[in-house]
Amino acid sequence: MTAADVTRPAADAAGAAGAPPGPPLPAPAANAAADNHAPAGDFDAVVVGAGPAGSAAALVLARSGQRVCLLERGPYPGSKNMYGGVVYPRILDGLLPEWWEDAPVQRWVTRRATMTLTDDQALTIDFRTESWGRPPYNGATALRPEFDAWLAAKAVDAGAVLVTSTTATGLLRDGPGGAVTGVSTDRPDGDLRAGIVVACDGVNSFLAKQAGLHGPVDPANYTLGAKEVLAVPARTIEERFGLGPNQGADFEIIGCTGAIPGGGFLYTNRDSLAVGVVLHLPALATAGVRPEELIAGLKAHPAVAPLVAGGELVEYSAHLIPEGGYDMMPALAGAGILVAGDAAAMCLAAGIWLEGVNFAIASGMAAGEAAAAALAANDVSEQGLAGYRRRLQDGFVLQDHRRLRHAPHLLLSERVQRRYPQLACDIVEDLFTVTNPEPKPGMRRLVRRQVTASGVRLRDLAADTWRALRTFG
Amino acid sequence: MSAAPPGSDRPGTATGSHEPASPSPDHPGTATGSHAPASPSPDHPGTALDPIVVCRRWVDLRPSVDPLTGAVESDPRTSGASAADDAALEWALQAAEAWGTSVVAVTVGPTGSQAVLRDALAAGAARAIQVDLGSSGDAASVAAEIAAVARALSARMVLCGDMGVDRGSGAVPALVAAAMGARQALGLVDLTIDPAEPGVVTGWRRLDGGRRQHLRAQAPFVASVEGASIRLRRASLAGVLRSGGAPIEVVAATGPTGGRVPSWMPASTGPGRPRTHVVDGPDPHEPAWRRVTLLTGSGADRPALRVVHAEPVDAAHQLIAALADWGEWE
Repeated sequence: MTAADVTRPAADAAGAAGAPPGPPLPAPAANAAADNHAPAGDFDAVVVGAGPAGSAAALVLARSGQRVCLLERGPYPGSKNMYGGVVYPRILDGLLPEWWEDAPVQRWVTRRATMTLTDDQALTIDFRTESWGRPPYNGATALRPEFDAWLAAKAVDAGAVLVTSTTATGLLRDGPGGAVTGVSTDRPDGDLRAGIVVACDGVNSFLAKQAGLHGPVDPANYTLGAKEVLAVPARTIEERFGLGPNQGADFEIIGCTGAIPGGGFLYTNRDSLAVGVVLHLPALATAGVRPEELIAGLKAHPAVAPLVAGGELVEYSAHLIPEGGYDMMPALAGAGILVAGDAAAMCLAAGIWLEGVNFAIASGMAAGEAAAAALAANDVSEQGLAGYRRRLQDGFVLQDHRRLRHAPHLLLSERVQRRYPQLACDIVEDLFTVTNPEPKPGMRRLVRRQVTASGVRLRDLAADTWRALRTFG
Repeated sequence: MSAAPPGSDRPGTATGSHEPASPSPDHPGTATGSHAPASPSPDHPGTALDPIVVCRRWVDLRPSVDPLTGAVESDPRTSGASAADDAALEWALQAAEAWGTSVVAVTVGPTGSQAVLRDALAAGAARAIQVDLGSSGDAASVAAEIAAVARALSARMVLCGDMGVDRGSGAVPALVAAAMGARQALGLVDLTIDPAEPGVVTGWRRLDGGRRQHLRAQAPFVASVEGASIRLRRASLAGVLRSGGAPIEVVAATGPTGGRVPSWMPASTGPGRPRTHVVDGPDPHEPAWRRVTLLTGSGADRPALRVVHAEPVDAAHQLIAALADWGEWE
């Protein structure tokens, strides 16, 4: 059929006086505008937020046969996201076998380095393995606008209804203080009723707060991540970082944020670099320093500058990160509502382990499973949804968070942030500085000398070492 | 549906005109020209049952430019309808509500362009038609396809955005009018729709020199509107949900236009060029390297960057002063 063969519906034969011959026109009642006020379709579940947690929850729910609506405030999943880091998608092995075949990754991380910086020193622990560059892989750099859209499409393929450009503005309840029965949105006639709501609405979850699941907000539990994306040709990236095609590097950096507790990062995308800092929120607020100044300082450091030289800035963005870990998590379930992803503070910031997307996906999957089970049992009470927490406790999500619950406090302490990096760099510089005709000092003497010079008390060093062993051991 | 904009020229005044967009030998039509309608009769006003065709173009609203190569990359996720196309849809919906008729959204493009049709369905359009022309159609081909759909629907009113956001030719609305043999009212900044007079719109458009023109268009007509003329309503949640599964009619392109659009139209539109900027040449007696550095500003002292904290009006004055200092403002 061509454009010239388009026909008008034959429902209305009234026609128009003088109108050219042709099939009758649709009656006025056929206007969609006229019946746009029809009630919204009912769903078994509404998932708010099409990030990794939300899409995973929607995917699980849809596969279990539930009618699920996935609400996204941006024009497309991932459009509001600025994350530019490493994702560890092995959690998807069971849900999406061989996910790596079509997942939109930038580079497979085969090199991982931890840099300790002072003003003019750098000590790097650098590891690489080829095995991370082969299926089933380990981690990958990814641009979340691509990754989130991909995962949301999987949920849609499974039957979820994706509604974009729509913000959930509040909870619907079965009477004051009653069970959650849906969400209101910012669209006309925008109430969306459902048996259960899965709140995956991000770090500043208004829905979880409205549900009374969050306690008082403590800024000390949050950091601000600020990032620049620098365009650099793919071949240049591979030469500078010693990578093969599709191979990527992940640099985590400590000692680059001045007096503000935090850290830095440098990731390789396909033809761009993500470089930035993560800053403790209260300290940032009082420091009078802007994040971009710290990024500029990081980029100018002698150990980093050659890696980012010539990069064209294509993006700058910033976002809150719930780094408080286990101790800041809200209640995970209420009557008719579950909370997952960043909304539930499922972000692991434990120094050597900086993971969020895999925890979000895992919590979303667990929420989807628990919600499906509750719907099947026709019991969406808080007790009926208790299976969500059990699933998280049985898996790595809560086990890792609980084991590493003290890591954020340890890592953000002044000694770990400033004194130990300086001490480590000074010891290594002393170790490798040839001072002939002086003979080489013994290691113990050298360490003792630098510890004394740093002002670090042995008692504190021993205590921190013990705490680190307890935390990470 | 609004009154004449304040300060605009009134019909019949020395700077304004009140030209009914009615093509006849004695009345050549609008300032942009018009073409004698073939069918239906130009004097036949629209009726309550004429569908209104609204054109929707799928375009990348935020194309990315590779800073290393200059290549422009489009992304379906950031693509959609322009503000002008959204305004056309809103005017069409208001007209349909006023006259008791329906809106048919039409796009000419690849499969991805169905997104803009679903937006139209969500907002209230009754029907959506995609003419599958890929993404390579020129303005004349696109216009011919839209006109073919309008003819097939016996639609006598077509609304479009005035110009694409990707430096389009802006010729499609006029070409549609030509292909339909309809009147044209192009570049409207405001419309008035009278429920008591179906098929007739009055509106204002800009003219050169800051003047405005008041138009009255009677079906059959093609009207194009600027993006700032009105804002598209926010679709209801029910509309959005319904539009997701609503059928979209996909039809093949009719092919070569066969002379339905004027052959005198340019075959293609070149890329946009920045306006020329007159630069006084350096003294020809200067050495070549000096002339190059003077022309390019390379190595010249730059004004120190400064941050200004000021109220909006004061800030605007300071910006103008700075631009004048830099020679960018006369």
